[in-house]
Amino acid sequence: MQLREIIKILECKILNSFSNLDLEIAHGSGCDQMSDVLAYVKSDALLLTGLTNTQVIRTADIADVKAVCFVRGKTIDSKIIQLSEEMKIPLLSTKLPMFEACGRLYKAGLKGCEENGIG
Amino acid sequence: MTIEEIVKQLGLKSLTKYDGNATVSGVFASDLLSDVMANSEEENFWITLQKHPNTIAVATLKDLAGIILVNNRKPDEETLEKAKEEGVAIFSTTMFTFEICGKLYDLLREL
Amino acid sequence: MLAMAQKEELTKQQELIYEMRIGLVMTKNPVSVAPEMQMSKLREILQTKRISGMPVLENGFLVGMVSLEDFIECLTSDAMNDSVAKHMSTDVITLFENDFLVTAVREFERTGFGRFPVLNRETGELVGILTKGDILRGVAKKLEVEFHRAEKKRYKNKMHILDHVQADETRFTFQYHIVGNDFNRAGEAAGNLKKNLKRLGLPPEIIRRVAIASYEAEMNLVIYTSGGYMTVRISPEMITVNVFDNGPGIPDVNQAMQEGYSTAENRIRDLGFGAGMGLPNIKKCSDEMLLRSKIGKGTNLRFSVKLYGKNDDN
Ligand SMILES: Nc1ncnc2c1ncn2[C@@H]1O[C@H](COP(=O)(O)OP(=O)(O)OP(=O)(O)O)[C@@H](O)[C@H]1O
Ligand SMILES: [Mg+2]
Repeated sequence: MQLREIIKILECKILNSFSNLDLEIAHGSGCDQMSDVLAYVKSDALLLTGLTNTQVIRTADIADVKAVCFVRGKTIDSKIIQLSEEMKIPLLSTKLPMFEACGRLYKAGLKGCEENGIG
Repeated sequence: MTIEEIVKQLGLKSLTKYDGNATVSGVFASDLLSDVMANSEEENFWITLQKHPNTIAVATLKDLAGIILVNNRKPDEETLEKAKEEGVAIFSTTMFTFEICGKLYDLLREL
Repeated sequence: MLAMAQKEELTKQQELIYEMRIGLVMTKNPVSVAPEMQMSKLREILQTKRISGMPVLENGFLVGMVSLEDFIECLTSDAMNDSVAKHMSTDVITLFENDFLVTAVREFERTGFGRFPVLNRETGELVGILTKGDILRGVAKKLEVEFHRAEKKRYKNKMHILDHVQADETRFTFQYHIVGNDFNRAGEAAGNLKKNLKRLGLPPEIIRRVAIASYEAEMNLVIYTSGGYMTVRISPEMITVNVFDNGPGIPDVNQAMQEGYSTAENRIRDLGFGAGMGLPNIKKCSDEMLLRSKIGKGTNLRFSVKLYGKNDDN
Protein backbone atom coordinates (compact mmCIF):
# COMPACT_ATOMS: atom_id res chain seq x y z
CA MET A 1 0.00 0.00 0.00
CA GLN A 2 1.38 3.39 -0.94
CA LEU A 3 1.84 6.10 1.67
CA ARG A 4 -0.56 8.30 -0.30
CA GLU A 5 -3.34 5.79 0.21
CA ILE A 6 -2.63 5.59 3.93
CA ILE A 7 -2.76 9.35 4.18
CA LYS A 8 -6.14 9.33 2.46
CA ILE A 9 -7.59 6.53 4.58
CA LEU A 10 -6.48 8.05 7.89
CA GLU A 11 -7.05 11.66 6.79
CA CYS A 12 -3.48 12.40 7.82
CA LYS A 13 -1.60 15.60 8.25
CA ILE A 14 1.93 15.42 6.80
CA LEU A 15 4.41 16.66 9.37
CA ASN A 16 7.73 16.73 7.57
CA SER A 17 9.25 17.00 4.13
CA PHE A 18 10.26 13.36 3.79
CA SER A 19 6.82 11.98 3.21
CA ASN A 20 7.36 10.55 -0.25
CA LEU A 21 3.83 9.67 -1.31
CA ASP A 22 4.90 6.74 -3.52
CA LEU A 23 6.59 4.96 -0.63
CA GLU A 24 5.44 1.33 -0.43
CA ILE A 25 4.30 0.16 2.98
CA ALA A 26 3.72 -3.57 3.43
CA HIS A 27 2.86 -3.90 7.12
CA GLY A 28 1.22 -1.99 9.92
CA SER A 29 1.96 -1.95 13.62
CA GLY A 30 0.10 -0.19 16.42
CA CYS A 31 2.23 0.05 19.53
CA ASP A 32 3.20 2.44 22.31
CA GLN A 33 5.98 0.37 23.84
CA MET A 34 9.23 0.83 22.00
CA SER A 35 10.82 -2.49 22.97
CA ASP A 36 7.87 -4.28 21.41
CA VAL A 37 8.29 -2.27 18.26
CA LEU A 38 11.96 -3.24 18.20
CA ALA A 39 11.15 -6.88 18.82
CA TYR A 40 8.35 -7.41 16.34
CA VAL A 41 8.07 -4.71 13.73
CA LYS A 42 8.93 -5.62 10.15
CA SER A 43 11.28 -3.32 8.33
CA ASP A 44 8.76 -2.21 5.72
CA ALA A 45 6.14 -1.17 8.23
CA LEU A 46 4.18 1.89 9.21
CA LEU A 47 4.27 2.48 12.96
CA LEU A 48 1.08 3.87 14.46
CA THR A 49 1.63 5.16 17.96
CA GLY A 50 0.10 7.29 20.65
CA LEU A 51 3.51 7.95 22.14
CA THR A 52 4.85 11.36 21.27
CA ASN A 53 8.48 11.74 22.23
CA THR A 54 11.79 11.65 20.41
CA GLN A 55 12.27 7.98 21.27
CA VAL A 56 9.59 7.11 18.72
CA ILE A 57 11.79 8.55 15.99
CA ARG A 58 14.94 6.95 17.39
CA THR A 59 13.20 3.59 17.57
CA ALA A 60 11.88 3.97 14.03
CA ASP A 61 15.40 4.74 12.84
CA ILE A 62 16.93 1.79 14.69
CA ALA A 63 14.28 -0.69 13.55
CA ASP A 64 14.13 0.56 9.93
CA VAL A 65 10.49 1.53 10.26
CA LYS A 66 9.39 3.08 6.96
CA ALA A 67 7.02 5.75 8.31
CA VAL A 68 5.49 6.91 11.58
CA CYS A 69 1.95 8.09 12.17
CA PHE A 70 0.88 9.64 15.47
CA VAL A 71 -2.70 8.85 16.43
CA ARG A 72 -5.41 10.81 18.24
CA GLY A 73 -4.21 14.14 16.83
CA LYS A 74 -1.77 14.90 19.59
CA THR A 75 0.34 18.01 19.25
CA ILE A 76 3.83 17.14 18.16
CA ASP A 77 6.83 18.92 19.60
CA SER A 78 9.04 20.60 17.01
CA LYS A 79 12.02 18.67 18.42
CA ILE A 80 10.38 15.45 17.22
CA ILE A 81 9.74 16.81 13.76
CA GLN A 82 13.31 18.07 13.54
CA LEU A 83 14.71 14.69 14.51
CA SER A 84 12.49 12.94 11.96
CA GLU A 85 13.91 15.25 9.28
CA GLU A 86 17.43 14.36 10.36
CA MET A 87 16.60 10.67 10.24
CA LYS A 88 14.67 11.07 6.98
CA ILE A 89 11.63 9.29 8.37
CA PRO A 90 8.24 10.25 6.95
CA LEU A 91 6.04 11.62 9.72
CA LEU A 92 2.24 11.78 9.76
CA SER A 93 -0.49 12.55 12.21
CA THR A 94 -4.14 11.47 12.28
CA LYS A 95 -7.04 12.59 14.45
CA LEU A 96 -8.28 9.00 14.66
CA PRO A 97 -7.64 6.97 17.80
CA MET A 98 -5.41 3.90 17.58
CA PHE A 99 -8.31 1.47 17.29
CA GLU A 100 -9.95 3.14 14.35
CA ALA A 101 -6.66 3.90 12.58
CA CYS A 102 -5.59 0.23 12.75
CA GLY A 103 -9.10 -0.88 11.86
CA ARG A 104 -9.34 1.24 8.73
CA LEU A 105 -5.91 0.21 7.43
CA TYR A 106 -6.52 -3.45 8.16
CA LYS A 107 -9.81 -3.25 6.32
CA ALA A 108 -8.05 -1.62 3.38
CA GLY A 109 -5.75 -4.64 3.20
CA LEU A 110 -2.64 -3.63 5.10
CA LYS A 111 -1.12 -6.63 6.88
CA GLY A 112 0.09 -6.77 10.47
CA CYS A 113 3.53 -7.82 11.64
CA GLU A 114 2.72 -11.30 12.90
CA GLU A 115 5.53 -13.76 12.30
CA ASN A 116 3.71 -15.96 9.80
CA GLY A 117 2.55 -12.97 7.85
CA ILE A 118 -1.15 -13.79 8.11
CA GLY A 119 -3.72 -11.59 9.80
CA MET B 1 -22.34 -6.04 21.22
CA THR B 2 -21.71 -8.29 24.20
CA ILE B 3 -18.46 -9.60 25.56
CA GLU B 4 -19.49 -13.14 24.71
CA GLU B 5 -19.96 -12.34 21.03
CA ILE B 6 -16.53 -10.76 20.80
CA VAL B 7 -14.84 -13.55 22.71
CA LYS B 8 -16.41 -16.11 20.39
CA GLN B 9 -15.78 -14.28 17.15
CA LEU B 10 -12.15 -13.54 17.89
CA GLY B 11 -11.36 -16.73 19.77
CA LEU B 12 -10.10 -14.88 22.83
CA LYS B 13 -8.76 -16.87 25.74
CA SER B 14 -10.34 -15.84 29.01
CA LEU B 15 -8.05 -15.68 32.02
CA THR B 16 -10.68 -14.66 34.57
CA LYS B 17 -14.41 -15.11 35.14
CA TYR B 18 -16.46 -12.72 33.07
CA ASP B 19 -20.02 -11.69 32.45
CA GLY B 20 -20.69 -12.69 28.86
CA ASN B 21 -23.83 -10.56 28.68
CA ALA B 22 -22.09 -7.34 29.62
CA THR B 23 -22.15 -4.86 26.76
CA VAL B 24 -19.11 -3.41 25.12
CA SER B 25 -19.53 0.23 24.16
CA GLY B 26 -16.42 0.46 22.01
CA VAL B 27 -12.75 -0.33 21.88
CA PHE B 28 -9.76 1.58 23.18
CA ALA B 29 -6.29 0.50 22.15
CA SER B 30 -3.30 1.92 24.02
CA ASP B 31 -0.24 0.90 26.00
CA LEU B 32 -0.03 4.21 27.83
CA LEU B 33 -1.83 4.32 31.16
CA SER B 34 -2.18 8.09 31.13
CA ASP B 35 -3.79 7.87 27.71
CA VAL B 36 -6.31 5.30 28.90
CA MET B 37 -7.03 7.33 32.03
CA ALA B 38 -7.67 10.44 29.97
CA ASN B 39 -9.44 9.14 26.91
CA SER B 40 -11.11 5.76 27.37
CA GLU B 41 -14.85 5.56 27.91
CA GLU B 42 -17.06 3.49 30.16
CA GLU B 43 -17.55 -0.13 29.03
CA ASN B 44 -14.71 0.14 26.51
CA PHE B 45 -12.78 -3.00 25.78
CA TRP B 46 -9.12 -2.14 26.38
CA ILE B 47 -6.52 -3.59 24.04
CA THR B 48 -3.00 -3.44 25.40
CA LEU B 49 0.23 -5.29 25.96
CA GLN B 50 0.59 -3.89 29.49
CA LYS B 51 0.23 -6.69 31.99
CA HIS B 52 1.31 -5.22 35.30
CA PRO B 53 -1.04 -4.69 38.26
CA ASN B 54 -1.62 -0.98 37.58
CA THR B 55 -3.75 -1.84 34.58
CA ILE B 56 -6.39 -3.26 36.92
CA ALA B 57 -6.60 -0.01 38.85
CA VAL B 58 -7.10 1.88 35.60
CA ALA B 59 -9.73 -0.56 34.33
CA THR B 60 -11.63 -0.28 37.61
CA LEU B 61 -11.45 3.50 37.80
CA LYS B 62 -12.66 3.90 34.25
CA ASP B 63 -15.31 1.13 34.44
CA LEU B 64 -13.89 -0.64 31.41
CA ALA B 65 -15.60 -3.75 30.04
CA GLY B 66 -12.40 -5.76 30.13
CA ILE B 67 -8.78 -6.03 29.06
CA ILE B 68 -7.47 -7.89 26.04
CA LEU B 69 -3.76 -8.66 26.33
CA VAL B 70 -2.21 -8.89 22.90
CA ASN B 71 0.85 -10.69 21.58
CA ASN B 72 0.27 -13.64 23.89
CA ARG B 73 1.18 -11.63 26.98
CA LYS B 74 0.53 -13.38 30.29
CA PRO B 75 -0.54 -11.16 33.16
CA ASP B 76 1.63 -10.96 36.28
CA GLU B 77 0.30 -13.09 39.11
CA GLU B 78 -0.44 -10.00 41.11
CA THR B 79 -2.38 -8.60 38.17
CA LEU B 80 -4.57 -11.70 37.99
CA GLU B 81 -5.19 -11.61 41.72
CA LYS B 82 -6.20 -7.96 41.61
CA ALA B 83 -8.38 -8.59 38.58
CA LYS B 84 -10.25 -11.30 40.45
CA GLU B 85 -10.64 -9.06 43.50
CA GLU B 86 -11.97 -6.16 41.46
CA GLY B 87 -13.96 -8.25 39.01
CA VAL B 88 -12.04 -7.08 35.96
CA ALA B 89 -12.23 -9.46 33.01
CA ILE B 90 -8.92 -10.28 31.30
CA PHE B 91 -8.52 -12.05 27.97
CA SER B 92 -5.50 -12.90 25.92
CA THR B 93 -4.77 -13.37 22.24
CA THR B 94 -1.73 -14.14 20.13
CA MET B 95 -2.70 -11.35 17.76
CA PHE B 96 -0.90 -8.01 17.76
CA THR B 97 -2.74 -4.75 18.40
CA PHE B 98 -2.94 -3.97 14.69
CA GLU B 99 -4.54 -7.27 13.75
CA ILE B 100 -7.00 -7.47 16.61
CA CYS B 101 -8.08 -3.88 16.08
CA GLY B 102 -8.62 -4.73 12.43
CA LYS B 103 -10.79 -7.70 13.22
CA LEU B 104 -12.76 -5.95 15.97
CA TYR B 105 -13.29 -2.92 13.79
CA ASP B 106 -14.94 -5.10 11.17
CA LEU B 107 -16.98 -6.91 13.77
CA LEU B 108 -18.33 -3.77 15.41
CA ARG B 109 -19.23 -2.20 12.11
CA GLU B 110 -21.20 -5.17 10.94
CA LEU B 111 -23.71 -4.48 13.66
CA MET C 1 37.01 -24.82 -1.08
CA LEU C 2 36.24 -25.74 -4.67
CA ALA C 3 35.36 -29.27 -3.73
CA MET C 4 32.97 -27.96 -1.16
CA ALA C 5 31.32 -25.64 -3.65
CA GLN C 6 30.86 -28.52 -6.07
CA LYS C 7 29.37 -30.74 -3.44
CA GLU C 8 27.01 -27.98 -2.48
CA GLU C 9 25.87 -27.69 -6.07
CA LEU C 10 25.32 -31.39 -6.49
CA THR C 11 22.96 -31.56 -3.59
CA LYS C 12 21.41 -28.35 -4.80
CA GLN C 13 20.85 -30.01 -8.16
CA GLN C 14 19.04 -32.85 -6.48
CA GLU C 15 16.95 -30.40 -4.56
CA LEU C 16 16.02 -28.54 -7.70
CA ILE C 17 14.29 -31.50 -9.33
CA TYR C 18 11.95 -31.46 -6.37
CA GLU C 19 11.33 -27.73 -6.67
CA MET C 20 11.19 -27.01 -10.39
CA ARG C 21 8.18 -27.82 -12.49
CA ILE C 22 8.19 -29.46 -15.90
CA GLY C 23 6.52 -26.46 -17.55
CA LEU C 24 9.59 -24.37 -16.77
CA VAL C 25 12.11 -26.49 -18.68
CA MET C 26 10.11 -28.26 -21.43
CA THR C 27 10.26 -27.22 -25.06
CA LYS C 28 7.12 -25.26 -25.74
CA ASN C 29 5.16 -25.35 -28.99
CA PRO C 30 6.82 -28.53 -30.23
CA VAL C 31 6.69 -29.59 -33.86
CA SER C 32 3.68 -31.84 -34.33
CA VAL C 33 1.96 -33.65 -37.17
CA ALA C 34 -1.62 -34.51 -38.06
CA PRO C 35 -2.83 -38.14 -37.98
CA GLU C 36 -3.91 -38.09 -41.62
CA MET C 37 -0.50 -37.04 -42.92
CA GLN C 38 1.42 -39.50 -45.04
CA MET C 39 4.38 -41.24 -43.46
CA SER C 40 6.55 -40.17 -46.40
CA LYS C 41 6.13 -36.55 -45.37
CA LEU C 42 7.78 -37.29 -42.05
CA ARG C 43 11.19 -37.61 -43.68
CA GLU C 44 11.57 -33.89 -44.23
CA ILE C 45 10.53 -32.95 -40.74
CA LEU C 46 12.73 -35.56 -39.08
CA GLN C 47 15.67 -34.42 -41.14
CA THR C 48 15.36 -30.66 -40.97
CA LYS C 49 14.31 -30.46 -37.33
CA ARG C 50 16.79 -33.13 -36.29
CA ILE C 51 14.34 -34.72 -33.93
CA SER C 52 13.67 -38.36 -33.35
CA GLY C 53 9.99 -38.25 -32.51
CA MET C 54 6.99 -35.99 -32.35
CA PRO C 55 3.45 -35.78 -31.07
CA VAL C 56 0.47 -36.36 -33.29
CA LEU C 57 -2.28 -33.81 -32.73
CA GLU C 58 -5.93 -33.65 -33.58
CA ASN C 59 -7.67 -30.35 -32.70
CA GLY C 60 -4.89 -29.54 -30.28
CA PHE C 61 -5.25 -32.83 -28.45
CA LEU C 62 -2.66 -35.52 -28.34
CA VAL C 63 -3.69 -38.71 -30.11
CA GLY C 64 -0.31 -40.44 -30.37
CA MET C 65 3.45 -40.23 -30.82
CA VAL C 66 5.35 -41.05 -33.96
CA SER C 67 9.08 -41.74 -33.92
CA LEU C 68 12.07 -42.25 -36.16
CA GLU C 69 11.72 -45.98 -35.51
CA ASP C 70 8.15 -45.94 -36.84
CA PHE C 71 9.41 -44.15 -39.91
CA ILE C 72 12.19 -46.65 -40.54
CA GLU C 73 9.76 -49.53 -40.12
CA CYS C 74 7.49 -48.08 -42.82
CA LEU C 75 10.49 -47.54 -45.02
CA THR C 76 11.53 -51.21 -44.79
CA SER C 77 7.99 -52.54 -45.15
CA ASP C 78 7.24 -50.22 -48.05
CA ALA C 79 4.33 -48.52 -46.30
CA MET C 80 5.30 -44.91 -46.88
CA ASN C 81 1.89 -43.99 -48.28
CA ASP C 82 0.12 -45.02 -45.10
CA SER C 83 -1.19 -42.35 -42.76
CA VAL C 84 0.67 -41.45 -39.62
CA ALA C 85 -2.36 -42.64 -37.64
CA LYS C 86 -1.71 -46.17 -38.77
CA HIS C 87 1.83 -46.35 -37.43
CA MET C 88 1.96 -44.04 -34.46
CA SER C 89 1.94 -45.47 -30.96
CA THR C 90 -1.22 -44.63 -29.10
CA ASP C 91 -0.52 -45.87 -25.60
CA VAL C 92 1.48 -42.78 -24.80
CA ILE C 93 2.79 -41.90 -21.39
CA THR C 94 2.25 -38.23 -20.71
CA LEU C 95 3.42 -35.79 -18.08
CA PHE C 96 1.72 -32.71 -16.73
CA GLU C 97 3.07 -29.21 -16.98
CA ASN C 98 2.75 -28.59 -13.24
CA ASP C 99 4.40 -31.85 -12.15
CA PHE C 100 7.80 -31.54 -10.54
CA LEU C 101 10.86 -32.59 -12.52
CA VAL C 102 11.35 -35.52 -10.21
CA THR C 103 8.25 -37.19 -11.73
CA ALA C 104 9.77 -36.90 -15.17
CA VAL C 105 13.15 -38.20 -14.02
CA ARG C 106 11.43 -41.29 -12.61
CA GLU C 107 9.52 -41.87 -15.85
CA PHE C 108 12.67 -41.59 -17.95
CA GLU C 109 14.32 -44.14 -15.72
CA ARG C 110 11.36 -46.49 -15.62
CA THR C 111 10.52 -46.52 -19.33
CA GLY C 112 13.80 -45.76 -21.02
CA PHE C 113 11.93 -43.44 -23.43
CA GLY C 114 13.70 -40.41 -24.83
CA ARG C 115 10.83 -37.92 -24.72
CA PHE C 116 7.44 -37.32 -23.18
CA PRO C 117 4.59 -35.14 -24.34
CA VAL C 118 3.52 -32.63 -21.68
CA LEU C 119 -0.13 -31.74 -21.15
CA ASN C 120 -1.98 -29.03 -19.32
CA ARG C 121 -3.63 -30.80 -16.42
CA GLU C 122 -6.88 -28.83 -16.64
CA THR C 123 -7.50 -28.66 -20.38
CA GLY C 124 -5.70 -31.82 -21.44
CA GLU C 125 -4.13 -29.91 -24.31
CA LEU C 126 -0.57 -30.55 -25.42
CA VAL C 127 1.67 -27.73 -24.25
CA GLY C 128 5.18 -29.06 -24.78
CA ILE C 129 7.61 -31.89 -25.04
CA LEU C 130 10.23 -32.92 -22.54
CA THR C 131 13.56 -34.64 -23.14
CA LYS C 132 16.36 -35.43 -20.72
CA GLY C 133 18.32 -32.66 -22.38
CA ASP C 134 15.59 -30.17 -21.45
CA ILE C 135 15.89 -31.17 -17.80
CA LEU C 136 19.66 -30.84 -17.72
CA ARG C 137 19.59 -27.47 -19.46
CA GLY C 138 16.83 -26.18 -17.18
CA VAL C 139 18.56 -27.23 -14.00
CA ALA C 140 21.92 -25.89 -15.17
CA LYS C 141 20.37 -22.53 -15.99
CA LYS C 142 18.70 -22.26 -12.61
CA LEU C 143 21.91 -23.21 -10.84
CA GLU C 144 23.74 -20.54 -12.71
CA VAL C 145 21.24 -17.89 -11.68
CA GLU C 146 21.41 -19.03 -8.07
CA PHE C 147 25.16 -19.18 -8.15
CA HIS C 148 25.32 -15.57 -9.30
CA ARG C 149 22.94 -14.58 -6.56
CA ALA C 150 25.03 -16.37 -3.96
CA GLU C 151 28.16 -14.71 -5.30
CA LYS C 152 26.56 -11.32 -4.98
CA LYS C 153 25.48 -12.07 -1.44
CA ARG C 154 28.95 -13.22 -0.48
CA TYR C 155 30.27 -10.02 -1.92
CA LYS C 156 27.78 -7.94 0.01
CA ASN C 157 28.53 -9.66 3.29
CA LYS C 158 32.16 -8.79 3.11
CA MET C 159 33.49 -5.79 4.85
CA HIS C 160 35.57 -4.35 2.04
CA ILE C 161 36.99 -1.55 4.01
CA LEU C 162 38.96 -4.09 6.01
CA ASP C 163 40.18 -5.90 2.90
CA HIS C 164 42.45 -3.06 1.92
CA VAL C 165 44.02 -2.58 5.30
CA GLN C 166 47.40 -4.24 5.41
CA ALA C 167 47.89 -5.66 8.87
CA ASP C 168 47.97 -8.94 10.69
CA GLU C 169 44.83 -7.98 12.50
CA THR C 170 42.29 -5.27 11.79
CA ARG C 171 39.81 -4.00 14.32
CA PHE C 172 37.66 -0.96 14.71
CA THR C 173 36.66 0.31 18.09
CA PHE C 174 34.00 2.90 18.80
CA GLN C 175 33.28 4.25 22.22
CA TYR C 176 30.18 6.15 23.35
CA HIS C 177 29.38 7.83 26.62
CA ILE C 178 25.87 7.42 27.88
CA VAL C 179 24.39 9.97 30.25
CA GLY C 180 21.90 8.68 32.82
CA ASN C 181 18.42 10.24 32.97
CA ASP C 182 18.86 12.35 29.87
CA PHE C 183 15.82 10.99 28.12
CA ASN C 184 15.93 13.33 25.16
CA ARG C 185 19.40 12.36 24.11
CA ALA C 186 18.84 8.70 24.90
CA GLY C 187 19.36 6.57 21.82
CA GLU C 188 21.92 8.87 20.26
CA ALA C 189 24.77 6.45 20.80
CA ALA C 190 22.96 3.56 19.14
CA GLY C 191 21.86 5.84 16.31
CA ASN C 192 25.42 6.97 15.67
CA LEU C 193 26.69 3.43 15.88
CA LYS C 194 24.16 2.41 13.28
CA LYS C 195 25.34 5.17 10.95
CA ASN C 196 28.94 4.03 11.34
CA LEU C 197 28.08 0.41 10.63
CA LYS C 198 26.30 1.53 7.47
CA ARG C 199 29.39 3.41 6.39
CA LEU C 200 31.43 0.26 6.86
CA GLY C 201 29.12 -1.38 4.35
CA LEU C 202 27.92 -4.16 6.64
CA PRO C 203 24.84 -6.19 5.65
CA PRO C 204 21.58 -4.46 6.69
CA GLU C 205 20.35 -7.44 8.72
CA ILE C 206 23.52 -7.41 10.84
CA ILE C 207 23.29 -3.66 11.30
CA ARG C 208 19.68 -3.94 12.38
CA ARG C 209 20.46 -6.56 15.00
CA VAL C 210 23.41 -4.68 16.47
CA ALA C 211 21.48 -1.40 16.41
CA ILE C 212 18.42 -2.82 18.16
CA ALA C 213 20.47 -4.55 20.86
CA SER C 214 22.63 -1.51 21.58
CA TYR C 215 19.61 0.78 21.64
CA GLU C 216 17.94 -1.42 24.25
CA ALA C 217 21.14 -1.45 26.29
CA GLU C 218 21.50 2.30 26.03
CA MET C 219 17.90 2.88 27.12
CA ASN C 220 18.43 0.70 30.16
CA LEU C 221 21.43 2.80 31.15
CA VAL C 222 19.48 6.02 30.72
CA ILE C 223 16.45 4.78 32.62
CA TYR C 224 17.96 2.72 35.43
CA THR C 225 21.49 3.99 36.00
CA SER C 226 23.48 7.14 36.50
CA GLY C 227 25.18 6.52 33.18
CA GLY C 228 28.14 4.67 31.73
CA TYR C 229 29.71 3.87 28.41
CA MET C 230 29.51 1.51 25.50
CA THR C 231 32.40 0.17 23.47
CA VAL C 232 31.93 -1.51 20.14
CA ARG C 233 34.63 -3.63 18.63
CA ILE C 234 34.43 -4.69 15.04
CA SER C 235 36.64 -7.43 13.70
CA PRO C 236 36.31 -9.20 10.36
CA GLU C 237 34.44 -11.99 12.14
CA MET C 238 32.12 -10.27 14.55
CA ILE C 239 30.86 -7.18 16.28
CA THR C 240 31.19 -7.17 20.06
CA VAL C 241 29.44 -4.59 22.19
CA ASN C 242 30.35 -3.98 25.84
CA VAL C 243 28.16 -1.80 28.00
CA PHE C 244 29.27 -0.69 31.46
CA ASP C 245 27.44 1.40 34.03
CA ASN C 246 28.09 2.67 37.52
CA GLY C 247 25.18 1.09 39.28
CA PRO C 248 22.89 0.49 41.09
CA GLY C 249 23.25 -3.04 39.71
CA ILE C 250 20.70 -5.78 39.13
CA PRO C 251 19.77 -7.98 42.12
CA ASP C 252 18.82 -11.04 40.06
CA VAL C 253 20.08 -11.11 36.49
CA ASN C 254 18.15 -14.27 35.60
CA GLN C 255 14.93 -12.64 36.65
CA ALA C 256 15.81 -9.47 34.74
CA MET C 257 16.33 -11.56 31.61
CA GLN C 258 12.79 -12.89 31.72
CA GLU C 259 10.40 -11.57 29.13
CA GLY C 260 7.99 -9.13 30.75
CA TYR C 261 9.98 -8.58 33.93
CA SER C 262 10.39 -4.89 34.65
CA THR C 263 10.85 -2.59 37.60
CA ALA C 264 9.85 0.46 35.57
CA GLU C 265 7.44 2.93 37.12
CA ASN C 266 4.32 4.28 35.43
CA ARG C 267 6.19 7.40 34.44
CA ILE C 268 8.62 5.28 32.41
CA ARG C 269 5.82 3.21 30.88
CA ASP C 270 4.16 6.36 29.68
CA LEU C 271 7.42 7.25 27.97
CA GLY C 272 7.12 4.04 25.99
CA PHE C 273 9.50 1.83 27.99
CA GLY C 274 9.27 -0.70 30.76
CA ALA C 275 7.50 -3.60 29.05
CA GLY C 276 10.30 -5.90 30.17
CA MET C 277 11.29 -6.75 26.63
CA GLY C 278 14.67 -5.07 26.36
CA LEU C 279 17.06 -7.70 27.67
CA PRO C 280 15.20 -10.61 25.99
CA ASN C 281 15.33 -8.54 22.82
CA ILE C 282 19.09 -8.15 23.13
CA LYS C 283 19.41 -11.89 23.52
CA LYS C 284 17.28 -12.49 20.45
CA CYS C 285 19.37 -10.12 18.35
CA SER C 286 22.78 -11.41 19.36
CA ASP C 287 24.72 -14.64 18.88
CA GLU C 288 26.17 -14.46 22.36
CA MET C 289 25.18 -12.46 25.40
CA LEU C 290 26.53 -12.16 28.91
CA LEU C 291 25.02 -10.07 31.70
CA ARG C 292 26.97 -9.56 34.92
CA SER C 293 26.05 -7.30 37.76
CA LYS C 294 27.18 -6.35 41.26
CA ILE C 295 24.82 -4.49 43.55
CA GLY C 296 26.19 -1.08 44.39
CA LYS C 297 28.97 -1.44 41.81
CA GLY C 298 27.39 -1.66 38.41
CA THR C 299 26.43 -3.83 35.50
CA ASN C 300 28.32 -5.12 32.48
CA LEU C 301 26.47 -6.37 29.47
CA ARG C 302 28.37 -7.94 26.63
CA PHE C 303 26.90 -9.24 23.42
CA SER C 304 28.23 -10.12 20.02
CA VAL C 305 26.87 -10.60 16.55
CA LYS C 306 28.76 -12.77 14.11
CA LEU C 307 29.34 -11.40 10.66
CA TYR C 308 29.09 -14.84 9.11
CA GLY C 309 27.57 -17.97 10.47
CA LYS C 310 24.44 -19.58 11.67
CA ASN C 311 22.47 -16.69 13.04
CA ASP C 312 23.25 -14.64 9.96
CA ASP C 313 19.92 -15.35 8.34
CA ASN C 314 20.45 -14.22 4.77
N1 LIG D 1 21.88 -1.52 33.45
C1 LIG D 1 20.94 -1.81 34.36
N2 LIG D 1 21.08 -1.43 35.64
C2 LIG D 1 20.14 -1.71 36.54
N3 LIG D 1 19.02 -2.40 36.27
C3 LIG D 1 18.80 -2.80 35.03
C4 LIG D 1 19.74 -2.54 33.98
N4 LIG D 1 19.28 -3.11 32.86
C5 LIG D 1 18.12 -3.68 33.17
N5 LIG D 1 17.81 -3.52 34.46
C6 LIG D 1 16.65 -4.09 35.18
O1 LIG D 1 16.16 -5.20 34.45
C7 LIG D 1 14.78 -5.02 34.14
C8 LIG D 1 14.49 -5.62 32.80
O2 LIG D 1 15.14 -4.89 31.79
P1 LIG D 1 14.59 -4.94 30.32
O3 LIG D 1 15.40 -4.03 29.48
O4 LIG D 1 14.47 -6.35 29.90
O5 LIG D 1 13.11 -4.38 30.45
P2 LIG D 1 12.64 -2.90 30.78
O6 LIG D 1 13.74 -1.95 30.57
O7 LIG D 1 12.01 -2.92 32.12
O8 LIG D 1 11.51 -2.68 29.69
P3 LIG D 1 11.73 -2.41 28.12
O9 LIG D 1 13.15 -2.71 27.84
O10 LIG D 1 10.78 -3.32 27.47
O11 LIG D 1 11.41 -1.00 27.88
C9 LIG D 1 14.56 -3.53 34.23
O12 LIG D 1 13.21 -3.23 34.54
C10 LIG D 1 15.51 -3.13 35.35
O13 LIG D 1 14.93 -3.39 36.60
MG1 LIG E 1 14.88 -2.00 28.78
